[in-house]
Formats: sequence, structure tokens, C-alpha cells
Amino acid sequence: MDFHIERAKVLPKSNLWSFLEGLKNIAPLIAPVKRGNKSVFSEVSDISDVTINYTRTILPPKKFLVPYRRVRFTYSTEDLSFSSNFRAREQIIFGVHSCDLHGISILDSIYLKENPDPRYLEVRKKTVLIGISCMPDDYCFCLSTGTAFPDGANWDLFLTDIGADYFVSIGSPKGDELIIELKELFRDIEREDLELYKRSTRKKKEAFRDKKLPDLERISQLIELEYESPVWDEEARRCLSCGTCTNVCPTCFCYTSVDVPDFEGKTVKRVEFTTSCQYPYYSLVAGGHYFKPTRTARFRHRYYHKLVGYPYQIEKLGCVGCGRCSAECPAKISMVETLIKLRGTDEKESGKAAEQTSTGRSL
Amino acid sequence: MKKSLEKLLNKPLPVDPFKPQRAVITDVEDLAPDHKKFTFAFLDESLAKVWDYIPGQFVMLTVPKAGEIPISICSSPTRKGFFELTVRKVGRKTKVLHRLKPGNVVAVRGPYGNGFPVGIMEGHNVLIIAGGLGMAPLRSLVWYILDRRNRFKEVYLLYGTRNYEFVLYKEELRRLKEREDIKCLFCLDRVETPEDREWADIEGLLTELIPEVKLEPSETYVAVCGPPVAYKFIGKELLKNGYPESQIFVSLERKMECGIGKCGHCQIGYKFACVDGPIFPLWDTKNLPEML
Repeated sequence: MDFHIERAKVLPKSNLWSFLEGLKNIAPLIAPVKRGNKSVFSEVSDISDVTINYTRTILPPKKFLVPYRRVRFTYSTEDLSFSSNFRAREQIIFGVHSCDLHGISILDSIYLKENPDPRYLEVRKKTVLIGISCMPDDYCFCLSTGTAFPDGANWDLFLTDIGADYFVSIGSPKGDELIIELKELFRDIEREDLELYKRSTRKKKEAFRDKKLPDLERISQLIELEYESPVWDEEARRCLSCGTCTNVCPTCFCYTSVDVPDFEGKTVKRVEFTTSCQYPYYSLVAGGHYFKPTRTARFRHRYYHKLVGYPYQIEKLGCVGCGRCSAECPAKISMVETLIKLRGTDEKESGKAAEQTSTGRSL
Repeated sequence: MKKSLEKLLNKPLPVDPFKPQRAVITDVEDLAPDHKKFTFAFLDESLAKVWDYIPGQFVMLTVPKAGEIPISICSSPTRKGFFELTVRKVGRKTKVLHRLKPGNVVAVRGPYGNGFPVGIMEGHNVLIIAGGLGMAPLRSLVWYILDRRNRFKEVYLLYGTRNYEFVLYKEELRRLKEREDIKCLFCLDRVETPEDREWADIEGLLTELIPEVKLEPSETYVAVCGPPVAYKFIGKELLKNGYPESQIFVSLERKMECGIGKCGHCQIGYKFACVDGPIFPLWDTKNLPEML
């Protein structure tokens, strides 16, 4: 009997560039490119700029779904008519790692579950997400957060490196359409490919063996019970309140909205821009009261929101273990270290967290 | 993919919840120093007729050129065709709002938030405790109850302010005090002038009025709104007098910017004041950090 699978294809590595070229001809292509010694997601005009073996980009791909600064409306002060020239465009985001795919799924829940935002939905409907497998560096802890593999996230295609080829999983009808359109680049799956694919899972897990990983079991409860822990103070002492951690986070969504009148005061732009819970004015209310007046309170709030708030609101942890906040922090504050410190003796007794943590965490 | 995620994307585009509707100011009333009550009517008459809300909910009000502010509705949904907002001049945007006159047009979206659990309160006694500007959202509840009086048992209103000058809705409350179907007890922090003396039942704090309330606590729902510092003491006093924790509701304010759980500013612990609040059971004040 012939071995046959419809849900996946194989893309020989030699065809990758033709695949990218093909994608670029279908819609604007966004992919990781090198900037200095770091990588960023950027629209590519020349596919030779695309970097395949990057570890993490400075900013997550969310900037192509919700721009960091956006004009919500323009209104005239004469008749208060609100208008918008917002238009979503078709786009393909290529080379998204598993953690960022999970990050986008979290944003999906936030923007679309209750009071759906029509703009986000429109952008999201017109975006194709193509993921790619990756190997962790010292900041990654996606194995703890259960986001090391793309299952359970919203994506269209996912490429897994299996040596000479990419194993291409198909996650949606949109993804399947792309495969059909570029079908001459792909070949059918053979039994051997499937074996290699399964082995790649273990390979990634093994790469975490010597890394420090936080144990996130019962983390919501732990954060609530350790709310007054001196660890917050110790860690926050180094914090600069610069907001880098939230700006580079793939799941942070807070924004501030201001009305900016033009010089004549005839039209006003309602501008939304990303803000950070690490800024003092974030919790300022009318009358001048700060609900989070201290750096410690703000520092702790980020952990609290990610690990207690998100599970309550959207039933998923708000951290995907991408390691951006730790990698970019100018004060070298590490999420992993803070959580290990918080667990204290419990962590030491439990031995290596990696062995205990299962993947596919669901709450 | 998960079923829940698949569902999220396979939806038609919803109506833009951020787009406000135009409303005209029909009346402005000075209530106290820096406190004004504005009456609005939607320009779209069909909207004005059907626009409904629950006492305790708030709207996002666009003050032209200044920006959006969240304000609690102080009129009752039982009276249609208009709505009222009481605003204290406290910052940049409210200062601009206070300059507006009848005939000026603003934009409004909402209502937002959960509101008081009026459905659950039906068939019970209701104890309403207002401190200062906290009277505004509770005025909505008072009139909601009085307009559907037969659905509720005994009703008490406790109201405390600094002095007579800062009492809101003076005439209205005087008339309420004469009514048989609601018992009103007023207190002032300081009783100095003859007006103060005439107004106040006692000189002191709201907590001193709570033991005066003659209600069966287990049959009573309590609605509290006031300055956050007062909640701790009022909550303690209520528990001491036997009111069950699950039947005490407090209104909490934060700097809501979107009103629909997207901007993150109004987080209280793991909850959003705009969608999970602004009315919280007292139990939450224990569990959510930085609540008060």
C-alpha cells in the first residue's frame, strides 16, 4: 500500500528560494532580514536578503498586525464626523518561529474574543503566516511555556528543518492554496520524511537539556502567593523603567490614545501608540493618583499580568518564552532568573525543570 | 489549530466599536464648585430612543480637540431620550468640557462596563452608600429603583460629603428625603454653617451611619461608590454589621482609554475595570492587588 499524507508536503531546501520568490509574487512578503548583527522582520524586495537561520528578531511580527503607532480616526471639529482611511492589505509573513506564532494566537484572543476589533480582524484575515522551525539559544525558554512547537496556534504553513528538506505542515485552507499555486516546488511525503520530522521534535527538546528553564507549573498561584516577596524589590532595583521588555514582547498590547489637533484646530487625529506598564504615567488617573507608584509595583505588574492576568482573561499564559525581554533588557534582567528566584527552594528540590515540564501546556 | 482560535477568524467584520456617535449638550447645571451636570441627547433620534444601559455603566465621551474620557452615567435608563453625566473639573480634558455650553456637540460611545447587578438585586432590600462624587453613578441606581419601586423591598440611601457646599443634586435629594419609599441618611465631614446643620443627619463619616440602617443584612444588597480610601472602612463596617461579602458591590475607577478591554490601562490585578468592572464584589477587593 502506498504511503500518502495530504496534510503535509516536502520542500527540498534547494527550492526554498524559488518558494520565497513565488510567495513574493503572490503578495508583499515580510521575512526576517539582517540588520547589523541582529535580525528584524521587514518587507523584502530582494529575497537574497532573507535570513533563514536567525534566532530572534528585535521586534516580534506583531508590528505588521497592529502597528506601534496608528491613526484610529480623523475627525473634524466643526461637525464631529469621524472618518478613517484604514485599509488592510494582503501580506505574507514568512519565517515566524513557533513562539511568535503562539504570540499571534494570544493577540487573536485578545483582539477578537470579546468586543472584536474589526481592523485587527481584517488585517488578520489578509495575512498568511508561514512558520519555520528553530533551535534555542540561551535566552529561549519556550519549552517551559509550552510554545516550542506550533501545535495549537493559528498559522497557515509551517516548515520544519529535516536535514536536506523542509517538512511543510499545512494548517489552513489558505496555506493549502499556496501549496497548490506553487505545487511544482513540492514533493509528496515519504515514510522516511515523517520519521525525520518526528525526530526533529526530540532534537529541539534535547537542545534545552543544559539550559536553565523555569518551572511554570501552578505559576499563577505562585505569583499571587508571592506577591509580597522581597524578590520583586531585589530585581526591580536594577530596572530602569525603560519599557523595552514590553515593547519587544510578542503578546503585549497596551496602548495610549491621544487626540492631536492640527494647527488650525479644524481636524483632529486620534492617534494610538504602544505604551508600557513600566512607565509611571501608565497607572495615573484624574486627580493625580498613581495606582502603581513604585518601580517595584510596575515591575511586578508585568509578571502578574503575563502569568495571572492572561490565564484569567484568555485562558493561556501571556508569555511564550521567546526570550526577547531578557535578551534586550539594558539592565540584564532575566524573566527566567526572576521566576527561578521566586520559586526559591521549591525549584532546587524539583531538580531540572526541563525534565518535569511537559509540552503543549493548556490551562 | 484550536476550535476556539478557528472560530475567532471565521467571523464577518463587526461594527467598529471605537466609532462614537454625535450627541448635543441640551443642558448644563452647576452642582457644586467644579462639579457640573451635563444633559445630552443623541443627534440620531432613532438611536436616542433605543439607547439603553445599566446603572453603574460608563460612556467614553469625546471632548472635541481634547480627547476621550470615561464618565459614569448619572441618569437612569428608565427615562429615555436623554442621558446625564456629572463631571468634576480635575484635569485637562474635563477643564475643556466645563467650558462647553448647551448646543455644543460632543461624541459618545458606550455604554461600557458591567453595571450594578440590578437583576439579582430585585426582590431584596437595597442599601446604597455614596461618598462625594460617588453619588453620580448611584443616582442612576436610585432612580432605576424608584421607577420600578415594586420590584424591590426596603431601600436606604446613605450619602456623605465634605460640607453642604459639595452636596450634589441638592434639591433632588431634599425631595427624596421627604418620600416614604426610600430612607435617606446624610452626613457631612464638618458641620459649620446653618445650611450644614439643616442638611446633615450627623456630623461624621459614612461608617457611622451604617449601624443606623434597619435592614435584615442577609436580605440586602449593598452598592458602594466613593473615594477608594473609604472602601476599606466601609467594607469593614458592613461586614461587622453582618452584610454578606458576596452581596456588597463597589464601583472602582481607572483610566479607561478604550472601554472594551484592549488598551490595558484599567487593569486591576487580573481583571479589567472596563469589561470585568467597574462594579466589583467586595470579595475582589481582597484578592486583586492594588485594588484600592
